[in-house]
Amino acid sequence: MTHFPHTDKPTAELNGISLSYPKGAAVLNGLDWQLLPGQVVGLLGRNGAGKTTLLETLLGLREPQAGTVTLFGQDALTLDDATRARVGYVPQQNDLFEAFTPAQLLAYFRSFYPRWNEAKVDGLLSRWDIARDKPIRKLSGGQKQRLSIIRALAHEPDLLVLDEPVASLDPAGRRDFLRELVGEVLDRGATVVFSTHILSDLERVAFNLAFLSGGRVALQAPLDELLEQVRAFTGTVTEMATLMTRLGAQPLKRTALEAGRERVLARLPAQATVPAGVAVDRVNLDDLFAELT
Amino acid sequence: MDPTHFVHINTGSPEPIYRQLIEQVKRRVAAGQLKAGDEIPSVRELAQALAVHPMTISKAYSLLESDGVLERRRGLSMVVAAQHQRAQSTADRVELLRPTLQKAAAEARQLELPKAQTLQLFKTILDEQAP
Repeated sequence: MTHFPHTDKPTAELNGISLSYPKGAAVLNGLDWQLLPGQVVGLLGRNGAGKTTLLETLLGLREPQAGTVTLFGQDALTLDDATRARVGYVPQQNDLFEAFTPAQLLAYFRSFYPRWNEAKVDGLLSRWDIARDKPIRKLSGGQKQRLSIIRALAHEPDLLVLDEPVASLDPAGRRDFLRELVGEVLDRGATVVFSTHILSDLERVAFNLAFLSGGRVALQAPLDELLEQVRAFTGTVTEMATLMTRLGAQPLKRTALEAGRERVLARLPAQATVPAGVAVDRVNLDDLFAELT
Repeated sequence: MDPTHFVHINTGSPEPIYRQLIEQVKRRVAAGQLKAGDEIPSVRELAQALAVHPMTISKAYSLLESDGVLERRRGLSMVVAAQHQRAQSTADRVELLRPTLQKAAAEARQLELPKAQTLQLFKTILDEQAP
């Protein structure tokens, strides 16, 4: 049996975060969020929902107008070097130095970190077919993305933040990347947050899902629980109101239909039994994404 | 046991991955493909082979253990529990299909399908080559 280094101390804690861009509406609006050690959290949200902004704020790269971000117990905006070295980040737009070769780039970053797993770096460069001595600008999009991932894993971070890390990878490359993530969790109990639109990837590795909507983490829960507890009901508005009360269900999303009917996505208490004759459907991750983001 | 072929998972299903693992292991034990004392892949091996979070695997294994399908051997490996010496009787194995068929029956009633044609479809599907 695998044990995870579960402590009560969150790896990351965001409280009351509000952030808006000049002349823009609020992107994050009183957002609270917690990441615990060993969790792999999939961050779900529509395009423009603020996922990248949220991840950058989590990392202390953006200063919110209100609220606090704490990483490993320190203010994210003033992390000391030792704590910063515990974080790995794969940004959506890779920020690799295009004139460098992968070997030069990695040698450069190596100098910043107290820990550096050279064996892992060598293994991944070979397995992921990245030429060590070719200028980075000549690498393909997928190769650059893989190099960015290698850079983020090399110093064995305890918190790994990945913003759309697999967009340019083919299915085999994605599977291999997911195996690496699982290894990070198994080896060190690393905390991982990643955003992606490829839901099948999330479904495999993300034990927990966070739905970003309206500038807040509207719901965070283990995917298993959501699949087992969330159901889609249809009926008249009155029937639905009675049913929700009777089941003690928590409505998550209502969609009005024709003729005074509605569809209600609701989370049932564990072990609730839906009465016979009620129109009810199970949901999958695609449904949850469509309805809750 | 080769962890890559131990079980398969379907993403996009309303069935959580840990449930899929449990049901597949139960079916393989019931069919006698896995027998008492057979060692199953470790949490680590299976998590990496399937690229699935290790907690998903350990959750499935713990439930299989409390259902008496698996047991923990000294050391840390899990094996198929001692009572599963051979394949279950046909009658018991057929019972395992009940929940799936109940669901199919409910859908057939919703579609108001005649019984004969529904059964014929099931026969046809049974005769098809396994994919």
